[in-house]
Amino acid sequence: MASVLLVLGLPLASFLAIALVRPLRRRGRAAGWVGITAMIVALAEALRTWLGSTRGTVILPWLPGDGGPMATVGLLLDDLSAPMLVLVTLVSLLVQMYSLAYLHDEPMPSLGRYYAYQSLFAFSMLGLVLSPTYLQMFVFWELVGLCSYLLIGYWYTRPAAARAALKAFWTTKLGDLGFIAGIVMLWSATGTFEFDALFRMAREQTLPLEGLATIMFLIYLGAAGKSAQFPLHVWLPDAMEGPTPVSALIHAATMVTAGVFLVARSEPLFVLVPGVLALIARVGAFTALLAATMACVESDIKRVLAYSTISQLGFMMAAAGAGAPDAGFFHLLTHGVFKALLFLGAGAVIHAVGTNDIFRMGGLWRVMPQTGVIFIVGTLALAGVWPLAGFFSKEAILAGVWAGGRSGVFVVLALTAFLTAFYMFRVVFITFFGHGHPHGEAHPHEPPWLMRGPLWLLAVLTVAIGLRFAIGGGGEHHPPGWLAALSLALAAGGFGLAWAMYGARWIPVEAVRRPLAVIDFLARRRYFLDAIYGAIYRGVMLGFARLIGWIDRYLVDGLLNVASAGTLRAGDALRRIQSGQAQDYVYGVAFGVLFLFVLAQWWRTP
Amino acid sequence: MTAATLGFWATAVVLLGSSLAVVLTPNLFHSVLFLAVALVATGVIFLFLAAPFLFGAQLLLYAGGVVVLVVFAIMLTEKIVGQRIRQASHGLVNGAIVAAAVFVGIVGFLVQAGPPPAARPPLSDVTAALGREIVGPYAAAFELLGVLLVAALLGALYFARED
Amino acid sequence: MPGLFAYLVVAALVFAIGLFGVLTRRNAVGILLGIELMLNAVNINLVAFARWHGDVVGLLFAMFTIAITVAEVAVGLAIVIVIFRVRRTIDADRLDLLRG
Repeated sequence: MASVLLVLGLPLASFLAIALVRPLRRRGRAAGWVGITAMIVALAEALRTWLGSTRGTVILPWLPGDGGPMATVGLLLDDLSAPMLVLVTLVSLLVQMYSLAYLHDEPMPSLGRYYAYQSLFAFSMLGLVLSPTYLQMFVFWELVGLCSYLLIGYWYTRPAAARAALKAFWTTKLGDLGFIAGIVMLWSATGTFEFDALFRMAREQTLPLEGLATIMFLIYLGAAGKSAQFPLHVWLPDAMEGPTPVSALIHAATMVTAGVFLVARSEPLFVLVPGVLALIARVGAFTALLAATMACVESDIKRVLAYSTISQLGFMMAAAGAGAPDAGFFHLLTHGVFKALLFLGAGAVIHAVGTNDIFRMGGLWRVMPQTGVIFIVGTLALAGVWPLAGFFSKEAILAGVWAGGRSGVFVVLALTAFLTAFYMFRVVFITFFGHGHPHGEAHPHEPPWLMRGPLWLLAVLTVAIGLRFAIGGGGEHHPPGWLAALSLALAAGGFGLAWAMYGARWIPVEAVRRPLAVIDFLARRRYFLDAIYGAIYRGVMLGFARLIGWIDRYLVDGLLNVASAGTLRAGDALRRIQSGQAQDYVYGVAFGVLFLFVLAQWWRTP
Repeated sequence: MTAATLGFWATAVVLLGSSLAVVLTPNLFHSVLFLAVALVATGVIFLFLAAPFLFGAQLLLYAGGVVVLVVFAIMLTEKIVGQRIRQASHGLVNGAIVAAAVFVGIVGFLVQAGPPPAARPPLSDVTAALGREIVGPYAAAFELLGVLLVAALLGALYFARED
Repeated sequence: MPGLFAYLVVAALVFAIGLFGVLTRRNAVGILLGIELMLNAVNINLVAFARWHGDVVGLLFAMFTIAITVAEVAVGLAIVIVIFRVRRTIDADRLDLLRG
């Protein structure tokens, strides 16, 4: 477990060093190298841990209580957290390297701040993954939420970024409220936060089942907020206001998958409440389809990827809900790799042309062939083309859902898979092969090696993971034979349609859009969800706030003003009584005596 | 009606009459003289209550000391001011109402307290008993009283000295 | 011999008269005289109770009261004289140093 501690401790040490040592922070590039060095060692240790056989739990008492500690902290290393360690450290490392080139125009102090946040995020995410108790997980859960807020709002002088950061924070907080309520209720029902103890109770069927559905639903709310499940998904597209590497790391590969991780981690508890599981599966599938339709009409390359992330998270959740959490977790890992690849590739494109709008790109294949190849590898993986990583994980999910007997969910996911291929290739065709639209003043060029290196590494990994499964045929899932064919057919269909519409332009876009006008209209307006939330916020929240404000200003303040004015007046009146004439005081004494007489009459014992 | 009762009521009338004169007469000097009468009458009432020692103390300290002191004071201040001191009253009605109310309150209490117990026979030698008490259990209080008197004397001197 | 009640009522009357004097006199010496009357009334009460209970301690208290009253008069008159010197008046309604 020592190496696990090293994996966890190095990012923390790096964060503390950058945050506390002012000269280091002011020299952002140096801070960056500190963070990168820490992550390299952490990655090495994570790999050693993953490949090694050490698994287990370390628990230390935290909050003392009667009859044993109320809460504990510790580290939990198992087959769920070990690969996550590798994913988090790997993507963190690559993103930090990439950022050094991507953000080379930033002022140095600002860059130092960036690397402090990055290191803190890596620490928090690793801590979340390694948590052996719900409470500790919640602490790190909030920490990653904080880092997400800080990094989305990295360019805090931009109003859009500041707003997006707040939106992300509040929307996820809504879910977190459920999460904390759930774990507290779970604790009051069982007396423990520890996974091991809870799972043992679940196995031995000593877990109190009444109320468990509510508890697990509340915990799922937290997961839904973090993993951008409908209807709490609205923050993720806006989160793209942060720097692109941040989007790659936090809002694609790691943090947003925390919800899926949580559901996978809590699997032994979720299986006890099939109703909640069914809800998770359905919401996941619905989210996947909804996000995919929005991705089809989006013109901002990062937002397309954001919607695709939501969609893929829907896939994972659906798998977890349909009784195949390992398939969902598998997809989480592969998706983490190739979605980071896609985001970083998109970042390279944006870096080159200086815009997010795909319709202002085009013909980039000629000037950035390396980036093009990399992006296409990612696209193929996301579309689920054999033999890339995404194919196997998506097939595992479809197989799991099919085996779980959720045919409705299965159909929705299959349709989503088709749309996934379509919208990704749409981006590819428009961005890289479209007719050379004007690029403005920018002269697109290949990114520097510091950006290309991580990109190639991720591309190679995407292929290598795929090949490993293609050759090894591993995996405990044995999907029905027709499923592979169906997957490929869906991907090919999506590719074909995209090619026909945007590549070869056989089918005019209008011809497809017109029959689907309603969906097109709704999807372009994000199904009015943001508008609804806005209306709720303005109507209910602001109205309520105004009411409270009015009450405070006029009722509470008025009461206090009346009290203070009364005190002043009374004091003034009482001052006049003090005439300074001794005889007036004697009158006072006499009246006091008379009052005592009356009082004595009043209370005379009968 | 026995002689004692008759004597008591006569003394009481004198006491009340001179008291009223104290608070009502416009001449301050007369007021002081009436006070002397009232104090002597009180002393006589002490006699009726079988406390001859207190009668003596009353005559010496009050009717002697206090009245002489007050007369001195009046004459002294008149000399300072250089005119006769007026002794007017004000707010007579208010004062009368409040004083009457207090009186009614006190008497109300007395009435409610019910009939008093029968009187014990008078002590054989009150003065001797009083002396024993003073040097016995109340010796400390008595000494403190001496201290108080000295302090009052010094205080009066301090206030009144020319400076 | 009159009853206890008679003594107490007489004492209460003297007390009320003294209070009336304290409340109405405009002159500081006059007020002092009123106070003397009130203390006197208290003394009558103390002695009467001492007689009725056959307890000599009541007399003791009366004696203490007399002594303390003498001290009080001495100090009070000294104060009056000082006020005279300073303000040339002893009209109580013109003495309002305690005014709030």
